[in-house]
Amino acid sequence: MQKLILLIVYSFFVKWFLKIFVGVKFKNAKFLVDEKQFIIVANHNSHLDTMSLMASLPRSIIHKVKPVAAGDHFGKTKFKEKLSSYFINALLIKRGRDKENPENDPIHKMIKALDDGFSLILFPEGSRGVPEEEQPLKKGIGLVLSQRPKVKFVPAYMKGMGKAMPKGDNLIVPHNCTLVYGEPTKIVNTDVDQIVNQIEDYFDKLKISGEI
Amino acid sequence: MKNIFHLKVFENNDLLIVVALIFGLLTFASILFFVIGKIKPKANLTELKARTKSWWFMASIFIAATIVNTNISYIAIAFLSFVAFRELYSLLGFRQSDRRAIFLAFISIPIQYYLAYISWYGTFIIFIPVVMFLVLPLRLVLKGDTEGIVKSMALLQWTLMLTVFGLSHMAYLLSLPDIEGFNSGGRGLLLFLVFLTEINDVMQFTWGKLLGKHKIIPKISPNKTWEGFIGGILSTTAIGYFLAFLTPLDTPHVLFVSFMIAFSGFVGDIVVSSVKRDIGVKDTGTSIPGHGGVLDRIDSLAYTAPVFFHMVYFIAY
Repeated sequence: MQKLILLIVYSFFVKWFLKIFVGVKFKNAKFLVDEKQFIIVANHNSHLDTMSLMASLPRSIIHKVKPVAAGDHFGKTKFKEKLSSYFINALLIKRGRDKENPENDPIHKMIKALDDGFSLILFPEGSRGVPEEEQPLKKGIGLVLSQRPKVKFVPAYMKGMGKAMPKGDNLIVPHNCTLVYGEPTKIVNTDVDQIVNQIEDYFDKLKISGEI
Repeated sequence: MKNIFHLKVFENNDLLIVVALIFGLLTFASILFFVIGKIKPKANLTELKARTKSWWFMASIFIAATIVNTNISYIAIAFLSFVAFRELYSLLGFRQSDRRAIFLAFISIPIQYYLAYISWYGTFIIFIPVVMFLVLPLRLVLKGDTEGIVKSMALLQWTLMLTVFGLSHMAYLLSLPDIEGFNSGGRGLLLFLVFLTEINDVMQFTWGKLLGKHKIIPKISPNKTWEGFIGGILSTTAIGYFLAFLTPLDTPHVLFVSFMIAFSGFVGDIVVSSVKRDIGVKDTGTSIPGHGGVLDRIDSLAYTAPVFFHMVYFIAY
């Protein structure tokens, strides 16, 4: 049932809304069907980011991909929490680590979702920040990948979303945007800092190719 | 419901002739490139083929939206304006604090086309040049960010004039009153304008490729030549003469109007080229394979539409 709802909402309504009204150009994401499990790492400027990534996913795997979202924002009330987990299929986490309470620890929660067979969408920049500006990546992605080194990461770069709907403004003003995907890649080293560096390098390359 | 599927086009031979002509030309181009590709496998025709394919697509959409039902035409042209406006303003680098004013500008698009739809000429013709011209700066001022505000005021108004005011004249053609003894009506005029503008682009390109030697404006468009320019204007004027049955004009007027379409189409093309040069992009987008963005295709229309409209309005109405 949830798969059907996600399909109707994203592959149809959200996708066409983004394409026709907002002006998002999606690059083909069909290659994701061939990947068993992956973590999409993307830059984060706008609420449209998650929408666009979900809408770009191939239909057959849309219910197997969970965007990771901050619990303090998307799980503020019980109602909001239910909505996010049902309609965005979100995995709600705390922003900081909680070592005493592994059930609540964000890294632990993400690894558990991977072990349950889900793929993830992660915004390692953290909060949306100043529109169209990159921030240094947080370490969480490195911690997760170093413990599950077989899972590939897929970099995704989005441009223009922060202009169409920046942080702190809920008015969507149509603006041409693009979403490009990089190749699915395995980490070369299980060292946390090196993983973060590898992803950052990959991001920069994608940014240049995405602008051409 | 019955009205929507009531295909007036099949009762009007004049329009049908031109529709047949358009598809005939496209078939000819497709076969031509196919044959050349077989004879000379080395010739690089990828872009020409992509262009022709896109032409098929655009012509079909245009004919479906414009000829079949007039009410759909208003919406289709308004949507074209919307996409062109979005494409152009996205390239121009507006400030974060301009968003509310830009939103207002977006809202002006349906209003402008509604004014065309209800044939309220007086307001249609002043809405963007006067009303929006006065309102948009106010919205920017209320936001309170003065750094770079002059640039935003100017850019926003110019973008709106080019992509919305200019193109909306296409829609107003459909709202012109009937003239006795002239059957094709607004659709005939619209078809005449769009066909001639686009054939002018194609002719300028073709003559330039065949004979082009002397550059006409090398700093802006190195591919444009005097030979292409003159060849384009002559062929477009000649084609306009043969399509005169789509307009209520007599022969000297048709020749003059066709000449002006060819000339202003060229001007629109180089104006948008110079803008692209300033921003540092080759095309304004990637929506149409072989052509670039939507604005790359309709840059000349943004100029020919108001020129053609006001000439016809002056001469015949």
